[in-house]
Amino acid sequence: MIAAAARRVAALSTSIDGEGDIRAVELLRMAAGPLVILHLAPFLALALDGVAYSDRFTEPYLSVYPAVGPALYFAILWVGVAAAAFLSLGFATRVAAATTAAVVGYNLLLSRTHFSNNRFFLLVLLVGLALLPVGRRWSIDAARRRRRGLPAADSRTGLWPLLLMRFEVATVYLASGTSKLIDADWWGGTVTRLRVVQWQDAVADGGVPGWLLDIAKSPEFHSWFAKAAVLTELAIGLGLVLRRTRLGAVWLAVPFHVSIELAASVQVFSYAALAALVIWVTPEAGDRTVVIRGSTPVARLVSRSVRRLDWTGRFALTTPAGKGPLVSLVDRNGVETHGAAAVRRIASRLPLTFWVAAPLNLPPARALWDRVTARVFGPASGRPTADAAAPEPPAR
Amino acid sequence: MDGGPTRSSGAHRSTRWWARRFVIASVVAVQITAVVAAYGTTHTPLGWQMFPASDEWEAEIVRVTVDGERRDIRDPWPGGVQWSTVVRNHGLADPFRRHPATYGIETTLDFLEGALEWVAHHTPDDSETIRLEAVVTYWENGRGPHRAVLVSSDREEAAR
Repeated sequence: MIAAAARRVAALSTSIDGEGDIRAVELLRMAAGPLVILHLAPFLALALDGVAYSDRFTEPYLSVYPAVGPALYFAILWVGVAAAAFLSLGFATRVAAATTAAVVGYNLLLSRTHFSNNRFFLLVLLVGLALLPVGRRWSIDAARRRRRGLPAADSRTGLWPLLLMRFEVATVYLASGTSKLIDADWWGGTVTRLRVVQWQDAVADGGVPGWLLDIAKSPEFHSWFAKAAVLTELAIGLGLVLRRTRLGAVWLAVPFHVSIELAASVQVFSYAALAALVIWVTPEAGDRTVVIRGSTPVARLVSRSVRRLDWTGRFALTTPAGKGPLVSLVDRNGVETHGAAAVRRIASRLPLTFWVAAPLNLPPARALWDRVTARVFGPASGRPTADAAAPEPPAR
Repeated sequence: MDGGPTRSSGAHRSTRWWARRFVIASVVAVQITAVVAAYGTTHTPLGWQMFPASDEWEAEIVRVTVDGERRDIRDPWPGGVQWSTVVRNHGLADPFRRHPATYGIETTLDFLEGALEWVAHHTPDDSETIRLEAVVTYWENGRGPHRAVLVSSDREEAAR
Protein backbone atom coordinates (compact mmCIF):
# COMPACT_ATOMS: atom_id res chain seq x y z
CA MET A 1 0.00 0.00 0.00
CA ILE A 2 2.87 2.32 0.87
CA ALA A 3 4.56 1.36 -2.38
CA ALA A 4 1.37 2.15 -4.32
CA ALA A 5 1.09 5.53 -2.62
CA ALA A 6 4.73 6.23 -3.38
CA ARG A 7 4.13 5.34 -7.03
CA ARG A 8 1.18 7.75 -7.16
CA VAL A 9 3.23 10.55 -5.63
CA ALA A 10 6.03 9.85 -8.11
CA ALA A 11 3.53 9.88 -11.01
CA LEU A 12 2.07 13.18 -9.80
CA SER A 13 5.54 14.63 -9.50
CA THR A 14 6.27 13.58 -13.08
CA SER A 15 2.98 15.15 -14.22
CA ILE A 16 3.98 18.48 -12.74
CA ASP A 17 7.10 18.56 -14.93
CA GLY A 18 5.40 17.14 -18.03
CA GLU A 19 5.04 19.02 -21.28
CA GLY A 20 2.27 18.87 -23.82
CA ASP A 21 0.44 20.63 -26.61
CA ILE A 22 -2.16 23.06 -25.27
CA ARG A 23 -3.65 24.33 -28.53
CA ALA A 24 -7.11 23.17 -27.38
CA VAL A 25 -6.96 25.66 -24.51
CA GLU A 26 -6.75 28.45 -27.10
CA LEU A 27 -10.50 27.91 -27.63
CA LEU A 28 -11.06 28.91 -24.01
CA ARG A 29 -8.85 31.95 -24.57
CA MET A 30 -11.02 33.02 -27.51
CA ALA A 31 -14.19 32.62 -25.46
CA ALA A 32 -12.74 34.42 -22.45
CA GLY A 33 -12.83 37.90 -23.99
CA PRO A 34 -16.59 38.07 -24.60
CA LEU A 35 -17.22 36.43 -21.22
CA VAL A 36 -15.15 39.05 -19.43
CA ILE A 37 -16.86 41.88 -21.27
CA LEU A 38 -20.26 40.39 -20.40
CA HIS A 39 -19.13 40.07 -16.80
CA LEU A 40 -17.91 43.68 -16.67
CA ALA A 41 -20.99 45.05 -18.47
CA PRO A 42 -22.99 45.95 -15.31
CA PHE A 43 -19.98 47.77 -13.86
CA LEU A 44 -19.38 49.55 -17.18
CA ALA A 45 -23.04 50.60 -17.43
CA LEU A 46 -22.73 52.27 -14.05
CA ALA A 47 -19.41 53.79 -15.06
CA LEU A 48 -21.05 55.39 -18.09
CA ASP A 49 -23.50 57.02 -15.65
CA GLY A 50 -20.57 58.18 -13.54
CA VAL A 51 -21.32 55.72 -10.73
CA ALA A 52 -18.34 53.96 -9.14
CA TYR A 53 -18.32 51.10 -6.67
CA SER A 54 -17.58 53.59 -3.87
CA ASP A 55 -20.82 55.50 -4.55
CA ARG A 56 -22.80 52.52 -3.31
CA PHE A 57 -22.78 50.12 -0.40
CA THR A 58 -19.46 48.33 -0.43
CA GLU A 59 -17.77 46.09 2.09
CA PRO A 60 -14.04 45.50 1.57
CA TYR A 61 -12.61 42.06 2.26
CA LEU A 62 -9.52 43.71 3.71
CA SER A 63 -9.21 47.23 5.06
CA VAL A 64 -5.72 47.47 3.55
CA TYR A 65 -6.96 46.62 0.04
CA PRO A 66 -5.92 49.41 -2.35
CA ALA A 67 -9.08 51.36 -3.18
CA VAL A 68 -8.91 53.87 -6.02
CA GLY A 69 -10.87 56.98 -6.92
CA PRO A 70 -13.71 56.89 -9.45
CA ALA A 71 -11.68 58.19 -12.41
CA LEU A 72 -8.95 55.58 -12.00
CA TYR A 73 -11.55 52.88 -11.32
CA PHE A 74 -13.35 53.65 -14.57
CA ALA A 75 -10.01 53.61 -16.42
CA ILE A 76 -9.18 50.21 -14.92
CA LEU A 77 -12.52 48.80 -16.12
CA TRP A 78 -11.92 50.05 -19.67
CA VAL A 79 -8.39 48.67 -19.64
CA GLY A 80 -10.01 45.35 -18.68
CA VAL A 81 -12.31 45.55 -21.70
CA ALA A 82 -9.42 46.27 -24.05
CA ALA A 83 -7.30 43.52 -22.52
CA ALA A 84 -10.18 41.05 -22.83
CA ALA A 85 -10.59 41.91 -26.51
CA PHE A 86 -6.84 41.50 -27.10
CA LEU A 87 -6.93 38.20 -25.21
CA SER A 88 -9.60 36.77 -27.48
CA LEU A 89 -7.85 38.00 -30.60
CA GLY A 90 -4.48 36.79 -29.37
CA PHE A 91 -2.75 40.13 -29.59
CA ALA A 92 0.09 40.53 -27.07
CA THR A 93 -1.57 37.49 -25.60
CA ARG A 94 0.42 36.94 -22.43
CA VAL A 95 0.22 40.59 -21.39
CA ALA A 96 -3.47 40.69 -22.30
CA ALA A 97 -4.19 37.53 -20.29
CA ALA A 98 -2.37 38.81 -17.22
CA THR A 99 -4.03 42.23 -17.47
CA THR A 100 -7.49 40.75 -17.90
CA ALA A 101 -7.04 38.48 -14.88
CA ALA A 102 -5.66 41.39 -12.84
CA VAL A 103 -8.57 43.71 -13.67
CA VAL A 104 -11.27 41.11 -13.03
CA GLY A 105 -9.54 40.04 -9.82
CA TYR A 106 -9.06 43.59 -8.59
CA ASN A 107 -12.70 44.47 -9.22
CA LEU A 108 -14.00 41.31 -7.56
CA LEU A 109 -11.92 41.77 -4.44
CA LEU A 110 -12.84 45.45 -4.07
CA SER A 111 -16.02 44.57 -2.22
CA ARG A 112 -17.76 41.55 -0.79
CA THR A 113 -20.88 42.85 -2.54
CA HIS A 114 -19.21 41.89 -5.83
CA PHE A 115 -19.12 38.27 -4.67
CA SER A 116 -20.64 35.51 -6.69
CA ASN A 117 -19.38 32.00 -7.36
CA ASN A 118 -19.65 32.42 -11.12
CA ARG A 119 -17.44 35.51 -11.06
CA PHE A 120 -14.75 33.73 -9.06
CA PHE A 121 -14.98 30.79 -11.45
CA LEU A 122 -14.27 33.16 -14.32
CA LEU A 123 -11.32 34.58 -12.40
CA VAL A 124 -9.89 31.10 -11.83
CA LEU A 125 -10.01 30.42 -15.57
CA LEU A 126 -8.39 33.77 -16.36
CA VAL A 127 -5.53 33.14 -13.95
CA GLY A 128 -5.01 29.75 -15.60
CA LEU A 129 -4.93 31.37 -19.04
CA ALA A 130 -2.42 33.93 -17.79
CA LEU A 131 -0.11 31.12 -16.71
CA LEU A 132 -0.22 29.33 -20.07
CA PRO A 133 1.13 30.47 -23.45
CA VAL A 134 -2.26 30.34 -25.17
CA GLY A 135 -1.52 32.53 -28.17
CA ARG A 136 0.94 30.44 -30.13
CA ARG A 137 -1.36 28.85 -32.68
CA TRP A 138 -4.54 30.73 -33.54
CA SER A 139 -3.84 34.34 -32.73
CA ILE A 140 -2.77 37.67 -34.15
CA ASP A 141 0.58 37.03 -32.47
CA ALA A 142 1.00 33.81 -34.48
CA ALA A 143 -0.11 35.55 -37.70
CA ARG A 144 2.45 38.31 -37.14
CA ARG A 145 5.18 35.72 -36.70
CA ARG A 146 4.17 34.08 -39.97
CA ARG A 147 4.16 37.43 -41.76
CA ARG A 148 7.67 38.15 -40.49
CA GLY A 149 8.77 34.78 -41.83
CA LEU A 150 9.48 33.39 -38.37
CA PRO A 151 8.74 29.73 -37.61
CA ALA A 152 5.51 29.05 -35.74
CA ALA A 153 5.90 29.05 -31.98
CA ASP A 154 5.70 25.62 -30.41
CA SER A 155 2.32 24.85 -28.79
CA ARG A 156 4.08 22.52 -26.40
CA THR A 157 4.68 23.86 -22.95
CA GLY A 158 4.89 22.86 -19.31
CA LEU A 159 1.58 21.42 -18.19
CA TRP A 160 1.55 22.33 -14.51
CA PRO A 161 -0.78 25.35 -14.99
CA LEU A 162 -3.19 23.09 -16.89
CA LEU A 163 -2.96 20.62 -14.03
CA LEU A 164 -3.95 23.40 -11.65
CA MET A 165 -6.85 24.52 -13.85
CA ARG A 166 -8.13 20.97 -13.95
CA PHE A 167 -7.86 20.69 -10.19
CA GLU A 168 -9.82 23.92 -9.74
CA VAL A 169 -12.56 23.06 -12.21
CA ALA A 170 -13.04 19.55 -10.82
CA THR A 171 -13.14 21.03 -7.32
CA VAL A 172 -16.03 23.31 -8.33
CA TYR A 173 -18.19 20.31 -9.25
CA LEU A 174 -17.08 18.17 -6.34
CA ALA A 175 -17.36 20.89 -3.68
CA SER A 176 -20.74 22.03 -4.95
CA GLY A 177 -22.07 18.49 -5.22
CA THR A 178 -20.77 17.51 -1.79
CA SER A 179 -22.32 20.56 -0.11
CA LYS A 180 -25.70 19.51 -1.53
CA LEU A 181 -25.19 15.83 -0.75
CA ILE A 182 -24.75 16.47 2.98
CA ASP A 183 -27.55 19.04 3.16
CA ALA A 184 -30.79 17.24 4.06
CA ASP A 185 -32.93 19.98 2.50
CA TRP A 186 -31.04 19.72 -0.79
CA TRP A 187 -30.92 15.93 -0.92
CA GLY A 188 -34.59 15.67 0.04
CA GLY A 189 -35.69 18.05 -2.71
CA THR A 190 -36.88 20.96 -0.56
CA VAL A 191 -34.42 23.46 -2.03
CA THR A 192 -35.19 22.71 -5.68
CA ARG A 193 -38.94 22.53 -5.06
CA LEU A 194 -39.01 25.90 -3.34
CA ARG A 195 -37.00 27.40 -6.21
CA VAL A 196 -39.76 26.35 -8.59
CA VAL A 197 -42.45 27.64 -6.22
CA GLN A 198 -40.63 30.98 -5.92
CA TRP A 199 -40.51 31.40 -9.69
CA GLN A 200 -43.81 29.72 -10.59
CA ASP A 201 -45.48 32.94 -11.75
CA ALA A 202 -42.63 33.73 -14.13
CA VAL A 203 -42.58 30.10 -15.32
CA ALA A 204 -46.33 30.16 -15.97
CA ASP A 205 -46.02 33.48 -17.80
CA GLY A 206 -43.38 31.82 -19.96
CA GLY A 207 -46.04 29.47 -21.33
CA VAL A 208 -45.36 26.34 -19.28
CA PRO A 209 -48.66 24.37 -19.06
CA GLY A 210 -50.34 24.12 -15.68
CA TRP A 211 -50.15 20.33 -15.48
CA LEU A 212 -46.40 20.44 -16.06
CA LEU A 213 -45.97 23.13 -13.43
CA ASP A 214 -47.96 20.99 -10.98
CA ILE A 215 -45.53 18.12 -11.54
CA ALA A 216 -42.57 20.46 -11.25
CA LYS A 217 -43.85 21.69 -7.87
CA SER A 218 -44.59 18.29 -6.39
CA PRO A 219 -42.42 17.00 -3.51
CA GLU A 220 -42.38 13.51 -5.06
CA PHE A 221 -40.81 14.84 -8.25
CA HIS A 222 -38.19 16.82 -6.36
CA SER A 223 -37.24 13.98 -4.05
CA TRP A 224 -35.90 12.28 -7.21
CA PHE A 225 -34.90 15.32 -9.21
CA ALA A 226 -32.68 16.73 -6.44
CA LYS A 227 -30.85 13.43 -6.03
CA ALA A 228 -30.33 13.20 -9.77
CA ALA A 229 -28.96 16.76 -9.87
CA VAL A 230 -26.56 16.19 -6.97
CA LEU A 231 -25.31 12.85 -8.29
CA THR A 232 -24.89 14.30 -11.78
CA GLU A 233 -22.74 17.11 -10.42
CA LEU A 234 -20.60 14.68 -8.43
CA ALA A 235 -20.37 12.29 -11.40
CA ILE A 236 -19.10 15.11 -13.61
CA GLY A 237 -16.48 16.14 -11.04
CA LEU A 238 -15.27 12.62 -10.41
CA GLY A 239 -15.59 11.61 -14.06
CA LEU A 240 -13.40 14.48 -15.21
CA VAL A 241 -10.63 13.48 -12.81
CA LEU A 242 -10.54 9.87 -13.94
CA ARG A 243 -9.14 9.43 -17.44
CA ARG A 244 -11.34 6.49 -18.39
CA THR A 245 -14.56 8.34 -17.60
CA ARG A 246 -13.46 11.80 -18.78
CA LEU A 247 -15.17 11.72 -22.16
CA GLY A 248 -18.47 10.70 -20.57
CA ALA A 249 -18.12 13.42 -17.94
CA VAL A 250 -17.53 16.09 -20.58
CA TRP A 251 -20.55 14.79 -22.48
CA LEU A 252 -22.70 14.90 -19.32
CA ALA A 253 -21.48 18.41 -18.45
CA VAL A 254 -22.94 19.86 -21.65
CA PRO A 255 -26.66 19.21 -20.89
CA PHE A 256 -25.97 19.89 -17.21
CA HIS A 257 -24.82 23.44 -17.92
CA VAL A 258 -27.39 24.06 -20.63
CA SER A 259 -30.17 23.11 -18.19
CA ILE A 260 -28.72 25.39 -15.50
CA GLU A 261 -28.61 28.25 -17.98
CA LEU A 262 -32.25 27.67 -18.91
CA ALA A 263 -33.45 27.29 -15.33
CA ALA A 264 -31.45 29.88 -13.41
CA SER A 265 -29.77 33.24 -13.71
CA VAL A 266 -26.06 32.51 -13.30
CA GLN A 267 -24.52 35.35 -15.31
CA VAL A 268 -21.62 34.00 -17.40
CA PHE A 269 -21.16 30.77 -15.44
CA SER A 270 -22.76 28.36 -17.91
CA TYR A 271 -20.84 29.73 -20.88
CA ALA A 272 -17.57 29.80 -18.94
CA ALA A 273 -18.07 26.24 -17.70
CA LEU A 274 -18.87 24.97 -21.20
CA ALA A 275 -15.84 26.74 -22.69
CA ALA A 276 -13.66 25.39 -19.87
CA LEU A 277 -14.40 21.81 -20.94
CA VAL A 278 -11.56 22.14 -23.47
CA ILE A 279 -9.02 21.95 -20.66
CA TRP A 280 -9.84 18.23 -20.44
CA VAL A 281 -8.71 17.57 -24.00
CA THR A 282 -5.58 15.40 -23.95
CA PRO A 283 -2.67 17.83 -24.39
CA GLU A 284 -1.18 15.98 -27.33
CA ALA A 285 -1.83 17.15 -30.89
CA GLY A 286 -2.11 15.02 -34.00
CA ASP A 287 -1.70 11.75 -32.17
CA ARG A 288 -4.47 10.14 -34.23
CA THR A 289 -4.06 9.77 -37.96
CA VAL A 290 -6.92 10.06 -40.42
CA VAL A 291 -6.20 8.36 -43.74
CA ILE A 292 -8.38 9.34 -46.69
CA ARG A 293 -8.12 7.64 -50.04
CA GLY A 294 -9.61 8.71 -53.32
CA SER A 295 -11.28 11.92 -54.42
CA THR A 296 -14.93 11.01 -54.26
CA PRO A 297 -17.33 13.65 -52.89
CA VAL A 298 -17.57 11.69 -49.63
CA ALA A 299 -13.79 11.52 -49.30
CA ARG A 300 -13.54 15.25 -49.92
CA LEU A 301 -16.31 15.93 -47.39
CA VAL A 302 -14.57 13.91 -44.67
CA SER A 303 -11.23 15.49 -45.49
CA ARG A 304 -12.65 19.00 -45.43
CA SER A 305 -14.55 18.33 -42.19
CA VAL A 306 -11.40 17.14 -40.44
CA ARG A 307 -9.40 20.11 -41.71
CA ARG A 308 -11.99 22.69 -40.73
CA LEU A 309 -13.53 21.26 -37.59
CA ASP A 310 -10.53 19.79 -35.81
CA TRP A 311 -10.19 22.85 -33.57
CA THR A 312 -8.46 20.97 -30.77
CA GLY A 313 -5.80 19.46 -33.05
CA ARG A 314 -6.71 15.83 -32.51
CA PHE A 315 -5.79 14.53 -35.97
CA ALA A 316 -2.97 14.29 -38.47
CA LEU A 317 -4.46 13.94 -41.94
CA THR A 318 -2.91 11.93 -44.77
CA THR A 319 -4.23 11.28 -48.27
CA PRO A 320 -2.11 8.48 -49.74
CA ALA A 321 -2.54 7.18 -53.28
CA GLY A 322 -3.49 3.58 -53.84
CA LYS A 323 -6.27 1.28 -52.85
CA GLY A 324 -7.78 0.78 -49.45
CA PRO A 325 -10.73 1.88 -47.35
CA LEU A 326 -12.15 5.31 -48.16
CA VAL A 327 -11.42 6.51 -44.64
CA SER A 328 -9.33 5.00 -41.89
CA LEU A 329 -8.35 6.11 -38.44
CA VAL A 330 -5.23 5.06 -36.60
CA ASP A 331 -5.87 5.81 -32.94
CA ARG A 332 -3.18 6.89 -30.50
CA ASN A 333 -2.85 3.34 -29.17
CA GLY A 334 -2.37 1.98 -32.68
CA VAL A 335 -5.88 0.59 -33.17
CA GLU A 336 -7.07 1.00 -36.76
CA THR A 337 -10.69 1.45 -37.73
CA HIS A 338 -12.10 1.85 -41.21
CA GLY A 339 -15.16 3.12 -43.03
CA ALA A 340 -18.25 3.96 -40.97
CA ALA A 341 -16.47 3.02 -37.75
CA ALA A 342 -13.64 5.46 -38.48
CA VAL A 343 -16.05 8.29 -39.30
CA ARG A 344 -17.96 7.59 -36.09
CA ARG A 345 -14.81 7.83 -34.01
CA ILE A 346 -13.55 10.91 -35.84
CA ALA A 347 -16.87 12.72 -35.36
CA SER A 348 -16.81 11.90 -31.66
CA ARG A 349 -13.54 13.81 -31.31
CA LEU A 350 -14.49 16.98 -33.22
CA PRO A 351 -15.85 19.70 -30.88
CA LEU A 352 -18.83 20.56 -33.08
CA THR A 353 -20.04 16.98 -33.54
CA PHE A 354 -18.76 15.49 -30.28
CA TRP A 355 -21.99 15.65 -28.31
CA VAL A 356 -24.08 13.91 -30.94
CA ALA A 357 -21.41 11.51 -32.15
CA ALA A 358 -19.89 10.30 -28.86
CA PRO A 359 -22.94 8.18 -27.90
CA LEU A 360 -22.69 6.48 -31.29
CA ASN A 361 -19.66 4.63 -29.90
CA LEU A 362 -21.88 2.84 -27.37
CA PRO A 363 -22.81 -0.71 -28.41
CA PRO A 364 -26.47 -0.42 -29.55
CA ALA A 365 -26.01 2.86 -31.41
CA ARG A 366 -22.65 1.74 -32.80
CA ALA A 367 -24.12 -1.25 -34.61
CA LEU A 368 -26.98 0.82 -36.00
CA TRP A 369 -24.68 3.62 -37.23
CA ASP A 370 -22.24 1.20 -38.80
CA ARG A 371 -25.03 -0.59 -40.66
CA VAL A 372 -26.86 2.54 -41.82
CA THR A 373 -23.79 4.49 -42.99
CA ALA A 374 -21.77 1.59 -44.40
CA ARG A 375 -22.94 2.39 -47.94
CA VAL A 376 -21.68 5.95 -47.65
CA PHE A 377 -18.38 5.54 -45.78
CA GLY A 378 -17.64 1.89 -46.45
CA PRO A 379 -18.10 -1.12 -44.17
CA ALA A 380 -17.04 -0.65 -40.59
CA SER A 381 -14.04 -2.68 -39.62
CA GLY A 382 -11.16 -2.42 -37.27
CA ARG A 383 -8.18 -4.38 -36.12
CA PRO A 384 -5.46 -3.67 -33.64
CA THR A 385 -2.04 -3.16 -35.11
CA ALA A 386 1.08 -4.55 -33.51
CA ASP A 387 1.44 -1.29 -31.58
CA ALA A 388 -1.91 -1.82 -29.91
CA ALA A 389 -0.36 -4.44 -27.69
CA ALA A 390 1.86 -1.74 -26.26
CA PRO A 391 0.83 -0.13 -22.97
CA GLU A 392 -1.74 2.67 -23.02
CA PRO A 393 -0.23 6.10 -23.49
CA PRO A 394 0.33 8.01 -20.28
CA ALA A 395 -2.75 9.35 -18.53
CA ARG A 396 -3.21 13.01 -19.36
CA MET B 1 -1.39 13.98 -16.81
CA ASP B 2 2.10 12.67 -16.69
CA GLY B 3 4.40 11.77 -19.52
CA GLY B 4 6.02 13.90 -22.14
CA PRO B 5 9.57 15.15 -21.96
CA THR B 6 10.50 16.58 -18.63
CA ARG B 7 12.69 19.54 -17.90
CA SER B 8 14.18 18.43 -14.63
CA SER B 9 16.08 15.29 -13.88
CA GLY B 10 16.11 13.66 -10.52
CA ALA B 11 19.77 14.47 -10.13
CA HIS B 12 19.41 18.21 -10.51
CA ARG B 13 16.35 19.91 -9.09
CA SER B 14 16.25 23.49 -10.19
CA THR B 15 14.60 26.45 -8.51
CA ARG B 16 11.80 26.10 -11.07
CA TRP B 17 11.27 22.49 -10.03
CA TRP B 18 10.71 23.56 -6.44
CA ALA B 19 8.76 26.69 -7.40
CA ARG B 20 6.24 24.65 -9.41
CA ARG B 21 5.62 22.36 -6.48
CA PHE B 22 5.34 25.25 -4.06
CA VAL B 23 2.76 27.02 -6.25
CA ILE B 24 0.70 23.86 -6.75
CA ALA B 25 0.80 22.92 -3.07
CA SER B 26 -0.20 26.47 -2.10
CA VAL B 27 -3.14 26.58 -4.51
CA VAL B 28 -4.37 23.16 -3.39
CA ALA B 29 -4.06 24.14 0.28
CA VAL B 30 -5.87 27.47 -0.22
CA GLN B 31 -8.61 25.83 -2.26
CA ILE B 32 -9.26 23.04 0.23
CA THR B 33 -9.23 25.53 3.10
CA ALA B 34 -11.78 27.71 1.28
CA VAL B 35 -14.08 24.77 0.60
CA VAL B 36 -14.00 23.73 4.26
CA ALA B 37 -14.32 27.32 5.52
CA ALA B 38 -17.41 27.88 3.37
CA TYR B 39 -19.37 25.60 5.74
CA GLY B 40 -18.79 28.01 8.61
CA THR B 41 -18.73 31.47 7.06
CA THR B 42 -20.85 33.43 4.62
CA HIS B 43 -19.95 34.25 0.99
CA THR B 44 -16.52 32.62 1.00
CA PRO B 45 -14.62 33.05 -2.27
CA LEU B 46 -13.65 29.67 -3.73
CA GLY B 47 -16.11 27.90 -1.41
CA TRP B 48 -18.18 26.77 -4.43
CA GLN B 49 -21.50 26.27 -2.66
CA MET B 50 -23.82 26.88 -5.59
CA PHE B 51 -27.55 27.45 -4.97
CA PRO B 52 -27.04 26.64 -1.29
CA ALA B 53 -30.60 27.24 -0.12
CA SER B 54 -34.07 28.46 -1.03
CA ASP B 55 -34.40 30.88 1.86
CA GLU B 56 -36.64 33.92 1.52
CA TRP B 57 -36.81 37.21 3.33
CA GLU B 58 -38.42 40.61 3.56
CA ALA B 59 -37.68 43.58 5.77
CA GLU B 60 -39.10 46.80 7.09
CA ILE B 61 -36.33 49.35 7.37
CA VAL B 62 -36.77 52.56 9.30
CA ARG B 63 -34.79 55.63 10.23
CA VAL B 64 -34.90 56.33 13.96
CA THR B 65 -34.73 60.11 14.35
CA VAL B 66 -33.26 62.10 17.21
CA ASP B 67 -36.77 62.73 18.56
CA GLY B 68 -37.49 58.98 18.61
CA GLU B 69 -39.69 58.77 15.52
CA ARG B 70 -39.43 55.72 13.27
CA ARG B 71 -39.71 56.72 9.62
CA ASP B 72 -39.95 54.32 6.73
CA ILE B 73 -36.89 54.67 4.50
CA ARG B 74 -39.20 54.89 1.48
CA ASP B 75 -40.40 58.27 2.78
CA PRO B 76 -38.44 61.44 1.86
CA TRP B 77 -35.02 61.47 3.45
CA PRO B 78 -32.91 64.54 4.29
CA GLY B 79 -30.29 65.04 1.59
CA GLY B 80 -32.40 63.22 -0.99
CA VAL B 81 -30.99 59.79 -0.21
CA GLN B 82 -32.74 56.80 -1.77
CA TRP B 83 -32.02 53.38 -0.29
CA SER B 84 -32.55 51.56 -3.59
CA THR B 85 -29.99 53.78 -5.30
CA VAL B 86 -27.13 53.27 -2.87
CA VAL B 87 -27.81 49.62 -1.95
CA ARG B 88 -28.05 47.48 -5.06
CA ASN B 89 -26.50 44.04 -4.86
CA HIS B 90 -27.86 40.68 -3.73
CA GLY B 91 -31.53 41.70 -3.71
CA LEU B 92 -30.99 44.39 -1.08
CA ALA B 93 -32.37 47.22 -3.22
CA ASP B 94 -35.96 46.16 -2.65
CA PRO B 95 -36.14 44.62 0.83
CA PHE B 96 -39.84 45.37 1.32
CA ARG B 97 -41.28 42.41 -0.53
CA ARG B 98 -40.64 38.71 0.07
CA HIS B 99 -37.97 37.37 -2.22
CA PRO B 100 -35.18 34.77 -2.37
CA ALA B 101 -31.96 35.15 -0.41
CA THR B 102 -29.42 34.59 -3.17
CA TYR B 103 -26.72 32.88 -1.13
CA GLY B 104 -28.82 31.86 1.86
CA ILE B 105 -30.27 33.94 4.67
CA GLU B 106 -27.02 34.13 6.65
CA THR B 107 -25.33 35.92 3.78
CA THR B 108 -28.29 38.23 3.24
CA LEU B 109 -28.46 39.18 6.92
CA ASP B 110 -24.73 39.81 6.90
CA PHE B 111 -25.01 42.04 3.82
CA LEU B 112 -28.08 43.86 5.16
CA GLU B 113 -26.31 44.61 8.43
CA GLY B 114 -23.37 45.97 6.47
CA ALA B 115 -25.68 48.02 4.27
CA LEU B 116 -27.38 49.63 7.27
CA GLU B 117 -24.00 50.58 8.66
CA TRP B 118 -22.72 51.87 5.31
CA VAL B 119 -25.80 53.98 4.59
CA ALA B 120 -25.87 55.35 8.13
CA HIS B 121 -22.36 56.67 7.68
CA HIS B 122 -22.54 57.84 4.06
CA THR B 123 -25.44 60.30 4.37
CA PRO B 124 -23.69 63.43 5.66
CA ASP B 125 -26.59 65.77 4.83
CA ASP B 126 -28.96 63.91 7.14
CA SER B 127 -28.86 65.53 10.56
CA GLU B 128 -32.09 64.03 11.94
CA THR B 129 -31.45 60.26 11.72
CA ILE B 130 -29.66 58.75 14.65
CA ARG B 131 -29.64 55.16 13.42
CA LEU B 132 -31.19 52.71 10.94
CA GLU B 133 -33.11 49.63 11.96
CA ALA B 134 -34.29 46.66 9.95
CA VAL B 135 -36.88 44.18 11.12
CA VAL B 136 -36.30 41.13 8.97
CA THR B 137 -38.76 38.31 8.51
CA TYR B 138 -37.28 35.23 6.90
CA TRP B 139 -38.00 31.64 6.00
CA GLU B 140 -35.23 29.03 5.97
CA ASN B 141 -36.05 26.60 3.19
CA GLY B 142 -39.73 27.20 3.83
CA ARG B 143 -39.48 26.95 7.62
CA GLY B 144 -40.54 30.00 9.55
CA PRO B 145 -41.24 32.80 9.70
CA HIS B 146 -38.28 33.81 11.84
CA ARG B 147 -37.51 37.35 12.87
CA ALA B 148 -34.26 39.28 13.22
CA VAL B 149 -33.65 42.90 14.15
CA LEU B 150 -30.58 44.59 12.73
CA VAL B 151 -29.44 48.00 13.96
CA SER B 152 -26.74 50.32 12.68
CA SER B 153 -24.44 52.10 15.07
CA ASP B 154 -25.51 55.59 16.11
CA ARG B 155 -24.66 58.43 13.76
CA GLU B 156 -22.46 61.20 15.09
CA GLU B 157 -23.93 63.64 12.57
CA ALA B 158 -27.31 63.48 14.32
CA ALA B 159 -25.97 63.16 17.84
CA ARG B 160 -24.16 66.50 17.54
